Amino acid sequence: MKFDAKSYRITEDGRVGQVALIIGIIGLVLTATGYFVDKAQFYHSYLTAFFFWLSIALGGLFFTMLHHLVGAKWSVVLRRLAENIMICIPLLAIFLIPVLFGIGELFHWSHPEVVAQDHLLQLKAPYLNVAFFIIRAVFYFVIWVLLARYLLRLSLAQDGGHTESISKRMRVASAPSMILFALTITFASFDWLMSLDAHWYSTIFGVYVFSGSLLAMLAFLMRIVLYLDGVGTLRGIITREHWHDLGKLIFAFIVFWGYMAFSQYFLIWYGNIPEETVWFLHRWEHDWQYISLLIVFGHFVIPFFVLFPYSTKRSRPVMLVMTIWILAMHWVDLYWIILPNLHREAVKFSWIDFAPMLGIGGIFIRFFWSRVRVTPLVPVGDPGLEESKRLVSH
Amino acid sequence: MSTTEYIIGSGEPPLVTGNHTFASVTEHICGIPEGKQPTWWYLAFGGALSLLMVLAGSIGYLIWEGTGIWGLNNPVGWGWAIINFVWWVGIGHAGTLISAILFLLRQRWRTSINRFAEAMTLFAVMCALIFPAIHVGRIWVVYWMFPLPNQMSMWPNFRSPLLWDVFAVSTYFTASLLFWFTGLIPDLATFRDRARTKIKRLIFGFLALGWRGGNRQWRHYELAYLLLAGISTPLVLSVHSVVSTDFAISIIPGWHTTIFPPYFVAGAIFSGFAMVVTLSIIARKLYHLEDFITLNHLEKMNKIMLLTGMMVGYAYSMEFFIAWYSGNIYEQFAFINRATGPYAWAYWIMISCNVLVPQLFWFKNLRRSIPVMFIASILINVGMWFERFVIVVSSLANDFLPSSWDYYSPTIWDILTFIGSFGLFFTLFLLFIRFLPIIAMAEVKGVMPQAKVEHTEVAHE
Repeated sequence: MKFDAKSYRITEDGRVGQVALIIGIIGLVLTATGYFVDKAQFYHSYLTAFFFWLSIALGGLFFTMLHHLVGAKWSVVLRRLAENIMICIPLLAIFLIPVLFGIGELFHWSHPEVVAQDHLLQLKAPYLNVAFFIIRAVFYFVIWVLLARYLLRLSLAQDGGHTESISKRMRVASAPSMILFALTITFASFDWLMSLDAHWYSTIFGVYVFSGSLLAMLAFLMRIVLYLDGVGTLRGIITREHWHDLGKLIFAFIVFWGYMAFSQYFLIWYGNIPEETVWFLHRWEHDWQYISLLIVFGHFVIPFFVLFPYSTKRSRPVMLVMTIWILAMHWVDLYWIILPNLHREAVKFSWIDFAPMLGIGGIFIRFFWSRVRVTPLVPVGDPGLEESKRLVSH
Repeated sequence: MSTTEYIIGSGEPPLVTGNHTFASVTEHICGIPEGKQPTWWYLAFGGALSLLMVLAGSIGYLIWEGTGIWGLNNPVGWGWAIINFVWWVGIGHAGTLISAILFLLRQRWRTSINRFAEAMTLFAVMCALIFPAIHVGRIWVVYWMFPLPNQMSMWPNFRSPLLWDVFAVSTYFTASLLFWFTGLIPDLATFRDRARTKIKRLIFGFLALGWRGGNRQWRHYELAYLLLAGISTPLVLSVHSVVSTDFAISIIPGWHTTIFPPYFVAGAIFSGFAMVVTLSIIARKLYHLEDFITLNHLEKMNKIMLLTGMMVGYAYSMEFFIAWYSGNIYEQFAFINRATGPYAWAYWIMISCNVLVPQLFWFKNLRRSIPVMFIASILINVGMWFERFVIVVSSLANDFLPSSWDYYSPTIWDILTFIGSFGLFFTLFLLFIRFLPIIAMAEVKGVMPQAKVEHTEVAHE
């Protein structure tokens, strides 16, 4: 790979794009095969993979807005990568379509005959009905796409000049956008994840999903940073100091996720009301307890202790392993939310679980990489760029 | 642009204005306790002391007569005492957030406000701790709250969040005190060095722990400060999370909801910053600290209030939505009753003060207007008190059994005890102003342009 340090552009890349595209196509073909093999399995696996990649893209949007909002200096060199992650949201809008076709397989509240038998679902029908569900899904994506495109457009315009005024516009736009983001990701997680078990409810659920999503995005970003460093680009631009700060942020969100997960579990366990505990009961019976324990240890305990010391956050091999580990755990977390609705009686891993991960993921990375190829790797017009490059982390 | 106004390269407005030198900072801050206190200080101290007497009297009568003097009834077994406890603990959170979390986030503007925000934390936690202690009824056995071995083999119930409170709040107080004291050491040494009487020199010398300001001492000091910041950071979240479990682990509609821990933490930071703004506006005016606590500092705090105010608003709306979504008629009743029932007045005070008032801070000129933020910060703390009132009282007064519903009204003793707690708070705060440096001198000097002496590359055209 060749990198022009003056323009911060990759002039000649390796085979990332091709490899990702090939994996993506193979994955999508397998996914499509999965549809004909086992429809119900297909939709649940697909939803898991869709939400996994969507959560990373949404994390990119949040990271970008947060960066503008707080006027962060250290993360200027990371901003363009985050923006290129967030601009994958329009791509994921296309991948939403199969989910909408799968409403009948995924959500039992969508069947009138089921609702007719179920008093609670009748009460929820003004919210949980197919038409409104689709309208909301479209609405969320319209908001996300508009925000992502607007922020990226300003950012690219800044590459050409007017740096101060554009920084200000991005900051001004980010504040109200945060409100829209908070509400849309909350209700999207209610719609696409919580309503899979339509009787169950939890006020913290939106924040829980958000915390895991941002953690996954940070791990993904860190993985990209390590890759770019490994192939010799961005040396002296994104340094070990940035790894360290990013590592600290990952550590903070591991704790934040743990705090959300514990709050949700603990209050429901202690309250011990059957209509709430049933959700965790389904995740504690028939071997699901092993997945639950894997999440407790894998999503919190292990990364917490591994990333606690100063040295590990600055260590390339450790962070290579941990970023992949955290992303894997994020997938397990989503699997644990979604799949017990299908396989209540046993944990049944299927090859169909992995096909859409490769399919959507391959296309996602291909799309992301094509953005990386056409834009400078850092926001060259940002007034804070030089300061960010000189970051010293303690 | 001169270097004293702008730190080269950062483009950030200066954190300390007025062309101060290190010496003039020391003179100004040390001058406050060393000089003669202004008349208003004596008047304020007299007022605070009188209120403290009111507190002592109310508690004395409570111990003599019992909790029957309060407005508690059946079913409202928790009244103002718990509301006041949660309110005061919440106020404390801003101090810890400023001193610990903002330190870890390298927010250098914290240095002007951290000292008295931390002092505020300690005094607020003291005020808070009074209420559960006197609520036990038989205060002479209050030590039973601690797991002390005894011949009757009686132990506190470890499954009760009230016991977790004992541990959470006392840990919080201890850590905050250590953190505050550690931060004070260099400044105490300055006081010692400037002391004119032998007594003062001895006392400050004792408290300064032999500080000489050497390189090694600073290195150890910085490390200790960082470690204490790391230890205090989880406390910012854990204390009010534990307080929230007092409510949330029960199955009372309106209390039992999973968002309570982060929601309470956001509310605590919200009210705490409001209190810091209220106090710092008064302090900067009376002691001419405008160069240290600038409008930029106040504006940043107002932004945090806007953020946390909306987090609280998010939690209110989630509770409401999920109450509807749950299909649970008891949950739905609890929330509709809050908004339209006998305590609707309190609910709408809460919404107006906590959700609407901070919206003023969207506008830069309002965010930088001292009168606006002064009134807003007080209204926010009124709103946060009513938030706890709404939670505690409305859910209890209209519980599962309509035949036992009862309207809760406080008695004069509830009111006097609460007002009296301000006496304790302000007495301690005024004594703190009188005897200790209210701005962290050593830290403020570290963020002044003069402290940045390393070589900076300037581009030559």
